[in-house]
Amino acid sequence: MTDAGYILRLLLLLVIQVLLLNFFNFSQYLTIFLLPAAIICLPVRHDGIYALVLAFIAGFLTDFFADGMLGLVTCALVAVGYARTWILRFIFGAEFFARGEDISFRRLGFWPVMLAVFLATLLFMLIYVWADGAGTRPLWFNAVRVLLSTLVSTALSVFTVNLFSPERQ
Amino acid sequence: MDKGKEAGTLILTAAVFILMEVAALMLLSRSSTLQNIWLNRFSHRIMALNWSTAESIRGHFSLREENEQLARDNFLLREELRRYREQDRLLEEEENGVNGKGLFKYIPATIVKMSRNSLHNYIIIDKGSDDGVHPHSGIISRNGVVGVVQAVGKRYSYGLTLMNSFLSVSARVGRDGLVAPLVWDGVSTGRGYLKGIPPHMEIPQGDTVYTSGFSFVFPPDIPIAVTRGISEVDGATNAVSVTLLQDFSSLRYVTIVENPSRAEIAELEKEREEEQ
Repeated sequence: MTDAGYILRLLLLLVIQVLLLNFFNFSQYLTIFLLPAAIICLPVRHDGIYALVLAFIAGFLTDFFADGMLGLVTCALVAVGYARTWILRFIFGAEFFARGEDISFRRLGFWPVMLAVFLATLLFMLIYVWADGAGTRPLWFNAVRVLLSTLVSTALSVFTVNLFSPERQ
Repeated sequence: MDKGKEAGTLILTAAVFILMEVAALMLLSRSSTLQNIWLNRFSHRIMALNWSTAESIRGHFSLREENEQLARDNFLLREELRRYREQDRLLEEEENGVNGKGLFKYIPATIVKMSRNSLHNYIIIDKGSDDGVHPHSGIISRNGVVGVVQAVGKRYSYGLTLMNSFLSVSARVGRDGLVAPLVWDGVSTGRGYLKGIPPHMEIPQGDTVYTSGFSFVFPPDIPIAVTRGISEVDGATNAVSVTLLQDFSSLRYVTIVENPSRAEIAELEKEREEEQ
């Protein structure tokens, strides 16, 4: 996938993410985030710093346009940007980066890709919910929120992975 | 990619990550009061942890200095106590019509080397003739008798410990009991026995054994050991086994006991020997 193609898709996803945050608040236990999957789907030829910068910008724009606190999504998404390399190395092996393959269900298999998306979303949710609560909410509430939001967001991230799939191009 | 370049990239990525996280947290802190308080509390907790860790590390490294200061303080306190005791003794002697003389002199010292696993154990301490130490001075600690100085250099002294089969200390059972020489049993680290006890004497178990003061090496009433039991030696005499009060394995600081009248007593003894 070309960089321009990826950026265009990311901007589209940003709009969807902002709409989800502003107009689709189903429950206090559920917050849907598709951005962690987008960071995972970044073409593998780019290094960690590129992923960090992109995560920071995407997080900042989401914070800016969504009804939330500035810095909250940025903080969680930057952590995903940093962990991306480790997650992909853990699931697909070190040689995955040498091959320079992009993330897609057809090339890497459905479940391995979903596992990578799940881990990234879980990390994102842990930081997001923890910082959002600021020590004022009980642990069980945070745990339920993290679990529910991670599971639903991971399931919906199938759309994100398909959107960023190189086959779509 | 070679290892050096890979490590460099890893460090750079981590640095950029920290920088961006700090920027994000600053944004978060400015945008919400609740998050601001929470982050402040969190940073204070981290700072407190850092300070306490640094303080405990500093404390750990200054322990030696603290110990030495404590040893010096202990020595001064013990010396003061001894002086009072000695004054009491002299007063008592004067009341009984005896002209009491000769306060003992005490010099603090640190053990440089000490052997514990031979039949003739020795000790080397960091005080010598420059500090006023003479041969045949006593070595004591807060737990009791340690040994006797044998040879003196300018800055160091060599002595025999109580765990040396050549050393014998004049001892008394209780404050006013039987006087007998105490020697190490030559086997265990904390055992000895009182020699030449007449068979008719009964020595109760658990009595404290003190220095008798009958030699010019140690002042009287320094605790040495505790009696354990009595055993027959050769039909003519008995031996009383004792547990030494001094734990030689944990010894570090000692005090040298110097008798100012030692030379005079030695001279008298010499004259007596020559007459005989």
